[in-house]
Amino acid sequence: MRTARFVATRFAGMLLVLLVVAFVTFVVFYVLPADPARMACGRPCTPEGLQLAREFMGYNAPWYQQFFEFLGGILGGRTFGTGAAAIHCAAPCFGYDFQNNVDVLSEIGGRIEVSFSVALGAAAIWIVLGVGLGVLSALRRGTAVDRITMAAAMAGVSMPAYLAGMIGITIFAFALDVVPKSGYVPLTENPVQWAWHLVLPWFVLAFLHAAIYARLTRGQMLETLGEDYIRTARAKGLTERKVVGRHALRNVLLPVVTVFGVDLGGLLAGTVITERIFGMAGVGRLLVDAIASLNLPVLLGVTLFSALLITVLNFLVDLCYGALDPRARLV
Amino acid sequence: MKQLRFAAGVLAAVTLLTACGANDTPAAQGGTVKPGGNLVLLNDAPSITWDPAKSSNLVVTTLGLIHRRLTSWDVAPGKDTTIVPDLATDTGRPSDGGKTWTFTLKDGLKYADGTPIKSEDVKWGLERSFAPAFSGGLAYHKDLLSPGLAYKGPFEGKELDSIQTPDAKTIVFHLARPYGDFNWVASTPAFSPVPKGKGAEANYGDHPVASGPYQLASYERGKSAKLTRNPNWSRDEDKTRLANPDTIEFQLGQDTSVISKRLVDDTGTDRNAFGMSFASPAQLAQIQGSASAKSRLVTSESGALAYLSLNTQRGNLVNPKVRQAFQYAVDKAAYQVASAGSAQLAGDVATTLITPGLQGREQYDLYPAPPSGDVAKAKQLLAEAGFPNGLDGLVLATRNENGYPEKAAAIQASLARAGIKITIKPLDEDTYTSEVDTKGLSDYDLTLTSWQPDIPSANANIQPLFQSTEIGNGGVNESRYNNPEVDKLITEAQATVDPAEAGKKWAALDKKILADSPVVPLIYTRNSFLHGSQVGGVEIGRFPAYVDYRKFGIIQ
Repeated sequence: MRTARFVATRFAGMLLVLLVVAFVTFVVFYVLPADPARMACGRPCTPEGLQLAREFMGYNAPWYQQFFEFLGGILGGRTFGTGAAAIHCAAPCFGYDFQNNVDVLSEIGGRIEVSFSVALGAAAIWIVLGVGLGVLSALRRGTAVDRITMAAAMAGVSMPAYLAGMIGITIFAFALDVVPKSGYVPLTENPVQWAWHLVLPWFVLAFLHAAIYARLTRGQMLETLGEDYIRTARAKGLTERKVVGRHALRNVLLPVVTVFGVDLGGLLAGTVITERIFGMAGVGRLLVDAIASLNLPVLLGVTLFSALLITVLNFLVDLCYGALDPRARLV
Repeated sequence: MKQLRFAAGVLAAVTLLTACGANDTPAAQGGTVKPGGNLVLLNDAPSITWDPAKSSNLVVTTLGLIHRRLTSWDVAPGKDTTIVPDLATDTGRPSDGGKTWTFTLKDGLKYADGTPIKSEDVKWGLERSFAPAFSGGLAYHKDLLSPGLAYKGPFEGKELDSIQTPDAKTIVFHLARPYGDFNWVASTPAFSPVPKGKGAEANYGDHPVASGPYQLASYERGKSAKLTRNPNWSRDEDKTRLANPDTIEFQLGQDTSVISKRLVDDTGTDRNAFGMSFASPAQLAQIQGSASAKSRLVTSESGALAYLSLNTQRGNLVNPKVRQAFQYAVDKAAYQVASAGSAQLAGDVATTLITPGLQGREQYDLYPAPPSGDVAKAKQLLAEAGFPNGLDGLVLATRNENGYPEKAAAIQASLARAGIKITIKPLDEDTYTSEVDTKGLSDYDLTLTSWQPDIPSANANIQPLFQSTEIGNGGVNESRYNNPEVDKLITEAQATVDPAEAGKKWAALDKKILADSPVVPLIYTRNSFLHGSQVGGVEIGRFPAYVDYRKFGIIQ
């Protein structure tokens, strides 16, 4: 009963967050001096042409009315224009991309596989690497292993993603020529090629993120190892492996899981720079292109999609707390 | 916006290059260009608009591979660009003083699916371009065929009466006013045939019916497009397209730095590749270090007119004498260095409004001065105008990318020599468009930008920048130049059917406008492109400053 109520409350909260995100995004776009109808006006663009484009795309109404039309489209779908060339966007309609003639939902849907492939693979690597190295560093505190690991972590944390990507591609794709330079192969088409094309982006992303996890894990582990209950565990005669693996690591993982939830949520919604450098058509690239081409419907759609992923991941993190720490258990 | 960027066009930001006019005749590996092979085109833009109604492509680039139009351009290095027939038997027959234009289609024209191309299909394609769902392409025909855009497209069941098709081969255009360049307008994408009744679906551009040498075999936004041969296209009949490669593959959404690395590296299939974006100054500097890459860099001999516009309706700039002082105060040599490191890389100093390569252009210099300017003369003009101490408080608006801030700084420094103090306001593309091109009165005294015409006609160089109808509302008359006499002369020149006579009128307008000094021409901006060692036939004519995609071939 408590679980059901918790889930229901969280769901209502998530919906509210999404609504607020949609509203704020909408207002921000409206305040911008840009006119998205201009892209559909052509050259030369006459005032009549601009007005026609605005009407067709639904940009002639006041912003609050446009906002309600957007919400209405999610529930009941939308139709742009009239006659044989009218465009139907079926419910749930999260907007229509007039530049590429496709509804925003299917546009994002078609790119999820790429972004998820990049993000999940990289996340698996960085969590293993980051936590592993963090624990190692903590246990070998002050040794060469610790110093080298933390120096590498420092480099990862402070390196701009674009630079890391370019260095990676220059060394491994151009100089050594051991991985492909660009492109994505769907998992269903050829799993080996899929992984082969993803190896470099995975490691580049993992390098950038693992750093934070290694530092976080190390600090947390050092603190935990000084706690009384660890001394008690050691006093009971437990092996060091059990002390660290069973008792200490659990506590260490609490903050790690929190950070991981937020990071992964953001990455699933697209790894902008990685997708760009490696020529992959994921959600991140979609967002960048939408910004560059003033494609407001896509911008709004991707923003909502990211917000959705982050709220969902946060929810999952809360559930994980229960598993890791009985005191935080809900039932 | 980026779409707009490469979409061929205008206000092309742009850049520079190396060896002047180095169109290349690659002798790599000792082979020659032969029909066959796969050409790879590397594009930083994520998508291509294949729907002719929505495209602003030039005749010589992407869409020209798939769609034919009524007329086309003959482009070659070292000569002015001329008009030639494409689907039509000739370049159009004007009558009624240029108000009526008649074209006849060639015999035996077929689409890729084997059905014949009829005159009603050309009409249908144009009608489609009026539908709000399919607007967004070059629209030079619209106001001539339906003033005020009263016609809303064929999907509401109405025909466009200003276009008649008395038989399957003849198409007659009844224009709202005489227009001598209509045959040039007939080379824009909307004059491509679309089978009558087809293309109501919004995504027609993902599977267009081809009339050119290639058809779109597959297209995935953000990823790739693949072209294969159109079995019904004949090289004997279409003289403007060589169509050498058997297949053409576009790789979309590629990072520009990675594109340039791949082309410099020149290994594997990248040897068959061509980079569609301009080589940036940073890339050009890198390329200078590699003899191999340098030999695979192709540079235009001319290009978009870069200019400083002076707001003729604002402050002291309303005084022509003050504006003329700017002609002498600006250091064009410093501008060349700021834009590409050297004069040769940047492009020649400009003294005219019409760019090289356009018929009728006359070279002249109303304000003779060394490339670095004539500061004494500028000061003298300012003093005569009543400003012996120079000017202060002027604001220059420019874009915050493509090196514009650096170029603006060079202008600022050169004007300071003559006592003209300006501040620079870099704006993002959208803000620039809305502040400078949309408002009727701009809050800026100066703007720094560039312009490349959409068609090789002096008309397309002069009218958009200087007719008073192009002030605000998205027009690009950024100097807000409003001269009723010039307006009248522009309308007259547009109505002149004889190209030689029209050319003279445009050349006279060029001088007349510049005598009022609404803008300072800076340079004719060169563009450079990099290609792999197996790609041949990489040529840039005098206009446009883009490689002619129709002539590509693989060296075998």
